[in-house]
Formats: sequence, structure tokens, C-alpha cells
Amino acid sequence: MAVTSPDQSAMRGTQPVATNRAWSWYRVSEGMTPYFLIAPLLVLIGVFIYWPLVYSTYLSFFDWNFVRPDKNYVGWDNFTRLPDDPRFMRALRGTLFYTVTLVPLQVFLPLGLALLLWPIRNSRAQTSYRIMLFSPTIIAYSVAAVMWLWIFNPLQGILNKLLVEFGVERIGWLSDRDTAIWAIIIVATWKTLGFHMLLYLAALEGVPKDYIEAASLDGANHWQIMRSIRFPLITPTFFFVLVTTVISVNDDVFGAINVLTDGGPFDSTTNIIYYLYQQGFQFFQIGAASAVAIIVFAATSVLTWVQFKFVERHVHYG
Amino acid sequence: MCIMASRTTMADSHDHRTRERWNTYGIHVVVIVICAFTIFPFLWMLSTSFKQADEVFTKDLRLIPNAPTLRNFPDAFDYFPVAHWFWNSFGIAVLTTLGKLVISVPAAFAFARLRFRGDKVLFAMVLATMIVPGIVTVVPNYILVSNLNWMNTWAGVVIPSLPGTAFFVFLLRQNVLQLPQDLIDAARIDGASTIKLLTQIVLPNIKPAIAVVVILSFLGAWNQYLWPLLILNDFESKTLATGMQFFTNNAESAQMWGPMMATAAIATLPPLIIYAFAQKQIIDTFVTSGIKG
Repeated sequence: MAVTSPDQSAMRGTQPVATNRAWSWYRVSEGMTPYFLIAPLLVLIGVFIYWPLVYSTYLSFFDWNFVRPDKNYVGWDNFTRLPDDPRFMRALRGTLFYTVTLVPLQVFLPLGLALLLWPIRNSRAQTSYRIMLFSPTIIAYSVAAVMWLWIFNPLQGILNKLLVEFGVERIGWLSDRDTAIWAIIIVATWKTLGFHMLLYLAALEGVPKDYIEAASLDGANHWQIMRSIRFPLITPTFFFVLVTTVISVNDDVFGAINVLTDGGPFDSTTNIIYYLYQQGFQFFQIGAASAVAIIVFAATSVLTWVQFKFVERHVHYG
Repeated sequence: MCIMASRTTMADSHDHRTRERWNTYGIHVVVIVICAFTIFPFLWMLSTSFKQADEVFTKDLRLIPNAPTLRNFPDAFDYFPVAHWFWNSFGIAVLTTLGKLVISVPAAFAFARLRFRGDKVLFAMVLATMIVPGIVTVVPNYILVSNLNWMNTWAGVVIPSLPGTAFFVFLLRQNVLQLPQDLIDAARIDGASTIKLLTQIVLPNIKPAIAVVVILSFLGAWNQYLWPLLILNDFESKTLATGMQFFTNNAESAQMWGPMMATAAIATLPPLIIYAFAQKQIIDTFVTSGIKG
């Protein structure tokens, strides 16, 4: 281990070593340059991300409907009244349901498939496979939902036509409160399957070949190598997928809910994100919507923090 | 094949190899089934977009239309302002991409290579925006945009979405950090100013990373939904992703599956073309950027 001298660490920066030159316009402008370079980004972040957080917090203590000129201060009412709203409770239930079903479907299913695909990674069909698997990821969620709207259509959709063909009764995919949420879960699984799988495959490819060779020289078999070397070394990717899925899954399905069911039937497909949208932009309950925004933000922050704590301790960095 | 080669020392029996080959076939079959699942909605959309109205409503389920027609495309354009929507999607995506580059590249360079008071705190503030879900800022930004009279304008969609670029700043910064220190030092010794260093030394050397930012931010802007849904209310100001819901809004157009799928095909085409050309680049970046494992 080399000891880093103060000189070396100074070299890391790119400020020319100051040789006590006199005050000059050049030096002042050079000193200001970094701030000019970051100013546009920071101003925009301040105006459109940090200020809204502050303003949302403020609005969450008022009763307001967008158009009325004056806002009524109501204290914590917007928060404390939420549990009294059955639609909010259904939204919470939906949030939980989406999380519990979609995390395994979006995190573990692609992992299993990646491990399955791994032995044939050098096959000539790989490129075609990858293109087909990745396609759903790169199109708009809303457009994807329109494609599925056609597939789920009760009378003319291919799914029900096939069911009828096999003598099974038609299913009201999007109009039945028991199946509608599953229709959205199918779309959401379809949307991320290939992408997450490719992330895992890329991680598997990143495992150094030396490790594998050393292990097989020691007589480890295919399964042992997978379990003891490959899997531990792809845990960072695994946790990355897990973290981003848990945090963003309810956000992601917004487009699908909006196009396919608008939260219905009977709020069976709504979640907390959709509830916020409806409170704000269908019922104009700005105070309630802002209160939910603060709750979502707090929950996301806590989740991020907890998960990263966990990742720090349990990940083997390769 | 590699795995098999490394195993020759085990002096496998003929049986073992046959089994291995059958396993491989089995894997291919499973993968093809999964591929069919991921690709089928696309094929069905395309197929429907070339079908005549009466064929759409028959019991016949054909992937290749009986009597293919192109009429659904002009029909869609006649019934809804699809050309406007396309132009809006395109303009918004291009401006968002340019705007994100203009604010992200200089900032990424400054955070990577310059030392200044508060640099670490400011960079942390930029990264912290990644954990703020978009939905949280929607209400105040909607109020702001409507006070600025930016409703139904490109500016109203583009400008508030520019700061959603923290990941790109991170990605670009990583790339600037990886440039050899000698390159920077040499330019400094030659007396290059900071701006010159950025435009003449750093910029040409991070082109691949910039290409990735261009691709990803174009795709993101082309596909965005919630924000333009709120800001663009006029019929003609919609984007493709947000305008398509009009088809389902009235009873007549809700049955126009041919034109609806034709519009969906138009909306998916640019992303698919971009992906076809940049497949390797997109995936490679996600891997090497570090953040994705």
C-alpha cells in the first residue's frame, strides 16, 4: 500500500498549483467557472424538485381546490382524515398487493430465466432472443397498455376468442374486480421481464473467468460454481433490481392503470400513486393529494435507506 | 460450448453428452416460449393494424391478415390529429434530450474534475433527487406551469422534466473520472482554461457516454406519460403516448381497432428502431456504469 502524500492528493484536482500570482481577472473567472458550469442544473433542480417538496409540505396543511383564491388552514386534518376515506384504504391495499405480487415476478422470475439462459449464451440465436426479450422495455407503458387493451377486449380480444374456441366462458378481464388487477400484473411482468433478465445476464458475464477456472480445477461442478461463485458475485445486481423494483413498482404501473382500468372496477386496481393522481386531478383535493405526496416521499426515503443499509452488509463486491 | 470443452477432462460417457445436448434443446424451447410471450403483443398489434375492419371482428384468428390493407393508417390520421401528436412527441423528445445534455455535461465535468467550495454537498444534492418519485412533485409543478401560462406548450412539458437528469450526471461524471489524468494535466500545462479543457479535451473523449445519454433520454421523453397527460389538454397538443387514450374515449373510435393499432405501431416504431441500432451500447452502458451492478 502506497501512502498518499498531501502532494499527490493535491494533484488529483486540476486547479493549476497557485504560484502566488497577483490578482488577475483570469484567476477570478477561473475560480467562478465551476459554479457557472453547475448553475443551470442546480437552478432547475431547485425550482422543479426541491421547491415542490417544500411547497407540497405547505399545501398539505391546507384545504384548497386549485381555483378558489384562498386556502383554508386545516392543520394535520389532511393526514388524519386519510384512514376515514375508504378509497384511500383500498389504495393502500392495492399498493400492498402490487408490491407483494410484482416483486417476485419482476425480481426472481427474471433471475431464474437468466440462470436458465446462461448455458446457451454463446448460441447463435442469442441476439434474436435478446431483441425479443428487451422490446417491451423500450416502449411507452401507455402504448403497451393500449396493445394489451386489445388483447383483453371482452368480445373481440384474442384471449377471450381463444377461451371460447376451447369452450371456456369469456372472462371480463378488465371489468371484473377479481381479474382486473391480475391483468395489470401481467402487463407489468411482461414489461420488465426481459430487461431484468438481461441485467442479470450481463452481471453473470462480468464474473471473472479466473475464478471459474480455479474452482473447476479444484473439482467444483456446474451447480457448485453457480451457487458459490456466480450467484454471490451477482448479488449487487440482484439487490439493485430488488431495490429499484420495490421503490418504483407502484409508480411504474400508473400508465397501465390509467389506460386499462382508471383504477376501477370499484377501486380494485388503484394504488397510492393513482389515488394521489385522482385526488389531485380528478377531485381537485390539493391538500389531500399533497399529504399523500409527503407520505409517498417519506416512505420512499425510508425504503431507500433501509435497503441500502441492507445491501451494504450483505453484498459481496467482486 | 465453452462449458462442454472445459469438461472434456472428465472423460464423460457418450450418454452424458447426449443428455447435455437434450438439456440445451430444452432450454431453447423454454426461451422461445418466453420470447413468444414478450413479442406476441407486438405481432398482434402489427397484424391488426393491417387488417380490414370486418376481419378484425371475425372469429378467425390470423396473424397474417387475409386481405392486408394500409387503410388503417390514413384512417387514423383523418380521425385524430396523429400527425400533430407525432410531431409533438418528436419535438418534445429532441428538446428534452438537448436540454438535459446542456445542463448535465458541464455539471458532470465540474463534479468530476474541479475542486470548489461545496462541491461534495452540491453533488450529493443532485444525486439525492434520484430518490424523489416524480409523482411527489406533480401538484406544485402543475400549479407553477399553469401560473407561467405554459399549459399546452412544449415548454411546459420539457422544462420541468429537465432536472430529472441525476442519473445522467452520475454516468457522465464516471466517464470523465475515467479519463487519464495525463490527458488533463497536459492540457493544463499548455495553459488551457477550464472551458477549453471541457470543450476540447473532455467532450471529444466522452462521446460514447454522451451517445448513451442521448439514446436513453430520447426514449424516456418519447415514452413519458403522466406529466404530458396533465400539461397537454388540447386535442392537438397531445403526444402519441398521451393522445392514444382518445381512441377509447368515444364509442365509435373505441371500436376502430385497426386505426388504433396503426397509431400504436407508429408510437412504438422510433423506440424500436433506436434499440435495433444501439442494442449493444445500451446494455453495455448499464453494466459498466456501475450503478446497475
